Amino acid sequence: MIERHIHAVAIEDPGHEEPARTRERLRDIFPAGSTRRMTQLGLVLGSVLHPIAPREEDAVVYASAYAETGALEAYLASFPTASPMLFQTSIHPSAVQQVLIARERSVRQFYPLTGRLQLVAHAVQTALLAPAARSILCGGEERRLRLLEHDTGSPETFAFALALSADPSGALGTLGLDASDAPEGSICLPDFFSALRDRRPLREAAAPGLTVILSWT
Amino acid sequence: MTSSPDSQPLHLRATGCRTALGNARATCDGLLLGRRALQFLPVLGADGGDPVPLAPLPERGPAETAPPGWLPCLDALAAEIPDAPWGAARHPVFVTSSNFGVGSLYAFQRTRDSRHLATGMPFATVEFLRQRLGWGSNVAVLSHACVSAHVGLLVAGRVLHAGLAESALVFSFDFISPFVAGGFHALKILNGGMPAPFSDRATGSIGLGDGAAFAVLDRGRGGCRLAAQATYNEMHHFTANRPDGAGFAACLEPIQAAAGGRRLWIKGHGTGTLEAGRLEAVTLARLFPEAPLVSWKGSLGHTLGSCGLVELAITIEALASGRTPGTVAAAPPCFADTVATESFANGGYDGVILASNAFGGAHAACLLSHD
Repeated sequence: MIERHIHAVAIEDPGHEEPARTRERLRDIFPAGSTRRMTQLGLVLGSVLHPIAPREEDAVVYASAYAETGALEAYLASFPTASPMLFQTSIHPSAVQQVLIARERSVRQFYPLTGRLQLVAHAVQTALLAPAARSILCGGEERRLRLLEHDTGSPETFAFALALSADPSGALGTLGLDASDAPEGSICLPDFFSALRDRRPLREAAAPGLTVILSWT
Repeated sequence: MTSSPDSQPLHLRATGCRTALGNARATCDGLLLGRRALQFLPVLGADGGDPVPLAPLPERGPAETAPPGWLPCLDALAAEIPDAPWGAARHPVFVTSSNFGVGSLYAFQRTRDSRHLATGMPFATVEFLRQRLGWGSNVAVLSHACVSAHVGLLVAGRVLHAGLAESALVFSFDFISPFVAGGFHALKILNGGMPAPFSDRATGSIGLGDGAAFAVLDRGRGGCRLAAQATYNEMHHFTANRPDGAGFAACLEPIQAAAGGRRLWIKGHGTGTLEAGRLEAVTLARLFPEAPLVSWKGSLGHTLGSCGLVELAITIEALASGRTPGTVAAAPPCFADTVATESFANGGYDGVILASNAFGGAHAACLLSHD
C-alpha cells in the first residue's frame, strides 16, 4: 500500500451559486483586478488553494472531468471570429493556471488529469507517487445547466484541495492506494468530494487493481 | 537517499506514430528528404476562412464527421502496439491529449447532430476509444496542453518504478479542427506564413498538424531508454514565457545533471514563434553548446499534445536510420549557432534530449539514451 498523510483540507461547495455571485464572494482572496477574466472553476479552485499556498517544490495534481465548460461553451459561440482569450481559458488545466498565474507562483510538478469513472483512482495514484515532500491534490467542477442535458457539463459547482505528506505528526487523516484483485472499480469526483466534505472514510475499488482508502484521525 | 523515479531508466519496448507524412518510418524518411507536409488550407476547414499552414492526415477531409475522420488513423496505429492486456491492473494505459475530440463539439455546436457527442468531451472520447480498441478500464487520462505526452510518459514511469505495473502504454493524439486552428489564428500565431523554427526573421508563425503516437514502457534493459524526465511550470503568463528564459533552464537542470558526459543532439520544441523560439534556442545553446538542435514542426506542423510522443517515435526511427533530420524550413540567420538546418549522421552521439513547451509556461523534457 502507498499512502500519505493529510495535513490540510479545503472545500468549496457553492452548489448552484451563479458565477457572478462566486466572483463577488471570492474577490478579496485574489490579486486586484485578476478575477475579471477568471472562470467559476478558477475562482473556486483559487479559494481552496489559497490556504494551502502551493510552493515551487510541491507537486500539484488536478482532477476534473468537465473542466472549463463555461469558457468552452462561450468560445464555441464566438465563431467565426474566435476569441483568443476564451480559447486559452478553455484548455483543461486552465483553472489551476488562472490561480497560479495570477499570483505568479511557479511549480515544478503539475499534473492535470481528466476522465470520469477512474479519475479519482488515477489522480490519487499520481499524487501519492509524486517525488515531492508535499503533494497537493485538488479538483472540482463548475455547473453548466445547458451542457448538462447533453452530459457535457456538471450539475454542481464544487472544489477541493488536500495537502499530503509522508509526515504523520498532526495529520488530519490518511489517503492511500492499495493494490487489489478487483478487476473493475470506479469512484467519481463528486463522490470523492462529498467524502472529503463530510469527513467520511472511503475504501472502494476505484480502478482495476486499485483500491482508494481515505481515513480520518 | 534514493534517487527520484524520474531519473531511473525506463525501457522503451516499442514506439510508433502517425503524421501527415505517414508512419514513423515514412515520417522520418520524409523529414530527411526535407519534405514539408504543411499546406495552406482554410483555417475553419469546410467552413472556410483564411488560408493557414496545416498538415492533416492525407485520408481526412475538411469536414468534421461522425464518427471522426481520424479514427482510421488511430485504428492503424493501435494495430502496431505489442499485445498485452492493456487497461488491466498490471498493464495500465495513459491516454494524453490536449484537445481529445473537441472538433466533434465544434461540429455539434454547428449542426446539433448528437452523434458528434460520442467523441465530444475528453472522457467520452477516451471511453469511445477504450471500447473500440478493447482496453480494460485502467486508463488514466492526462491533459496538459502541448506537454501532455511528456506528462503521460513521466507518470507512467513512476507507476512502473513503484512496482504497480509490468508494462505501460502511453497513447497520445491531437487532430486539427476549426476549434483549435481558429484559436491559434485568433492568437495571430497561426497566420499566412509558413513556420521557420528557430529562424531570426521579422514575423513568427506556426503550422498545425495531425499527430498520434504510442510508447510501450517497461523496466527491461537494452535498446532505447528514457534516462531522465523533468517538467517545470512557470505560471508567468498564459501565452508567454519569462523573458529571461528561466523556465526553460529550470526544466533542463535535472536533464543536464543526468546527461553529464554524453554526446547529445537535441530535438527542441521549435514551433516557429519568435520569442519562445529565441528563448529555447539560446538557453539550449548555453547549457549544451556542443549539441545540434533540430525541430521538425516546420514540416509536420505542431501536433499539440501529441508532439512529445510523435517526435519521440521519429527520434527512434532517426537513430535506427543513422541520420537525424534537420530543421526543415529553417534558414540562417538562426537564434543560435547550434541550430542544425541540414540532416546529420547521429552515430557519434549517445543521447538525445527531447523538449516541449505549452500554455502557461509549461516545460517538459526527457533524456533518451541508447546502446
